[in-house]
Amino acid sequence: MTLAKFLTVSTLALTVAAPALAEDKTISIAGFGAASGVVGIFGQNSGAAMSAAAEKINAEGGVTLADGSTAMIETTYYDDRCNAEEGISVLRRIATTDALVAVGPTCSNVAEPLFGILQAKVDDDGDTGLQFPVFTDVAIKGGLAGISEWVFRNTPSEAMMYDNLFAWIRETHPEAKTIYGGVEEDFAHSRATWYAVMKEAAIKHGFEVVGEAQWLLNDTNFSNQVRGMRRAEPDVVAISAHPFTTCGALREMARQKVEPEVLVGLTSSSSLETLSGCAAEAEGMIIPTSFAPVNDDAKFAADAVAAKGAALDLHSAAAWENFMILRDVINAAGIEGTADSRDADRRKIRDGLAALTEAEGLLGQNKRLPDGEAEKPYVFVGASDASWTVVHAPDS
Amino acid sequence: MDFYFGLLQIFGVHTLLGLSAYVVLLTGQVSMAQAGFYAIGAYAAGAATAMFGMHIIPAVLLAGLVSAAIACAVGFPALRVKGLMLVVATLAFGEMVRMIFFNLTWQVERDGALVGPNGAEGFRAIRYFPENGWEIWQVTTLIWIFVALVMAALWWMDRTRAGAVLRAVGHDEVAAQSIGLNLTAVKVGAMTAGGFIAGIGGSLYAHTVTHIEHGIFGVLLATFAVAYPILGGLGSVFGTLIAVLFIQGFLVEGLRFMGDWRSLLFGALIVVAMNLRPKGLLGDTPLRLGGLRRKPSSTPALQEAD
Repeated sequence: MTLAKFLTVSTLALTVAAPALAEDKTISIAGFGAASGVVGIFGQNSGAAMSAAAEKINAEGGVTLADGSTAMIETTYYDDRCNAEEGISVLRRIATTDALVAVGPTCSNVAEPLFGILQAKVDDDGDTGLQFPVFTDVAIKGGLAGISEWVFRNTPSEAMMYDNLFAWIRETHPEAKTIYGGVEEDFAHSRATWYAVMKEAAIKHGFEVVGEAQWLLNDTNFSNQVRGMRRAEPDVVAISAHPFTTCGALREMARQKVEPEVLVGLTSSSSLETLSGCAAEAEGMIIPTSFAPVNDDAKFAADAVAAKGAALDLHSAAAWENFMILRDVINAAGIEGTADSRDADRRKIRDGLAALTEAEGLLGQNKRLPDGEAEKPYVFVGASDASWTVVHAPDS
Repeated sequence: MDFYFGLLQIFGVHTLLGLSAYVVLLTGQVSMAQAGFYAIGAYAAGAATAMFGMHIIPAVLLAGLVSAAIACAVGFPALRVKGLMLVVATLAFGEMVRMIFFNLTWQVERDGALVGPNGAEGFRAIRYFPENGWEIWQVTTLIWIFVALVMAALWWMDRTRAGAVLRAVGHDEVAAQSIGLNLTAVKVGAMTAGGFIAGIGGSLYAHTVTHIEHGIFGVLLATFAVAYPILGGLGSVFGTLIAVLFIQGFLVEGLRFMGDWRSLLFGALIVVAMNLRPKGLLGDTPLRLGGLRRKPSSTPALQEAD
């Protein structure tokens, strides 16, 4: 074989092989959160939603890289058991992999320390914090994204949702005057939501707080708390607790025949766990949520996640949305997707997320805020006949 | 590489926690208060650096001393009881500490932001290391310097009369008292030393995670503190280290991929380990480095008689 023939054959072979090589390219997005333990169901749902979203993106051709080639999305979910130390360890592990961005965590008590180990301000050479973009889907406690400029959240603004919810209750139940709060005191999110969000919003809209009952995440007996509630005879009862103790409190309320005119729940309780745990007792409970299968996109996503044996709720829907937002960011950012460009690609994704002012969500446009937080469309859902149905859509 | 340094940090602070219980266990007492001392150290050092701008080294030592002082004060009444009653008393102390931090709100303004414990929401922004340019390997080195110092101190103590006294009280209180040992002084001394070590561990922990809250320092952590030296064996300080590597390295990190099964296996493997090695992974006989180099004489007493 002459040199000319050899070069011709080699060139042809490379030309044929090139598309195949391009198809083998992958972009890794890691998921992490609580996939086991008391709140493990949240992580399991998020993991399934990420997997389903990645399949949809890949079925549509994947993502486009800087050189015009396409790459498939691959995802791995890591369990942090809702433990801060483990969450930090998991993120450090993710940072050693090819993952360009991480979606998580589940728990606010993991998110706070986790965001604390990240570099607070981008390009601050004096800050040796970890430089890795995190796009949070579940941890919802207010104001956490401000801890680091490497953090972005796609969680709804509870302050806005509950403010509108209590305004709506005031409007639709003008005779209701008093409110009683029940709070899961040892969980960062539920505690902050009652004292800093629900209670403030209720007072702002003219409700008199006639009492508060506190319990803990692992409590199973609520008789004393509900007895106080019964004595106060409130018109509205607001329960700021996760599904497990929400159901415990609701069952005790049913036993002691506490029947408020309006029952309000925590955003995180607008999930299947509440209905599977205490559908009858939760009947009529109203919760603001950033997800309900009210349009074709939302229904498609819900079905795709259900096919994986999980459920799409406001948290796992955020995980789905995060992947779709990341797809668009990756397409626009000129990601190279090589081992050498890993750090630069992570930075491009961070900058891409920071530059967003709007993003497509399942219920409509999500407004991206400068501090990394989001304002998402939302609806009020009510428990009815063992399912969540939309009782009011504020923007419609 | 950062991941492995992060793991080493976890091993380091947990080793300190375990060693704090190890000292107390040498006297035959089971203290569930170590998580409380750990919490005191964490909050004290966090306050020192984040609220008052103190350097990390004096902050860690200060935290250790604060914890030691409280451990000493707690030791007098608590060690009047023993066995299960002591477990209950120290458990109650640990929960009391946790509830104090659950309700403690004390914040000062630094650089326009409020910093300090904020009740149930915890203590945020204990960011001494990243804000002062410490790389992760430097933080890991600092932690392991403290671990090495504590282990060396305990190893040395075990070879002195102090170690013999602690073990004597642990083996048989009546016999120890009959030879003139002051049981209260020995037990309170061990409790104080344990409080100091736990305080150092807690202070380093707070600075590696940057955010602490009451929930971290609960019964589970107290159980781990006692489990490390028991699982590793009370023969030497290395038993605690081995147990930390087994639990944090293998059970927590190594089995992470197993999801819910990990929690099941976690307990089962500890039970298996305790059945196979009932006196701990390294046993309860003091380990002597000299013994590794030369075989001990089989009949030392007879040789002396000759």
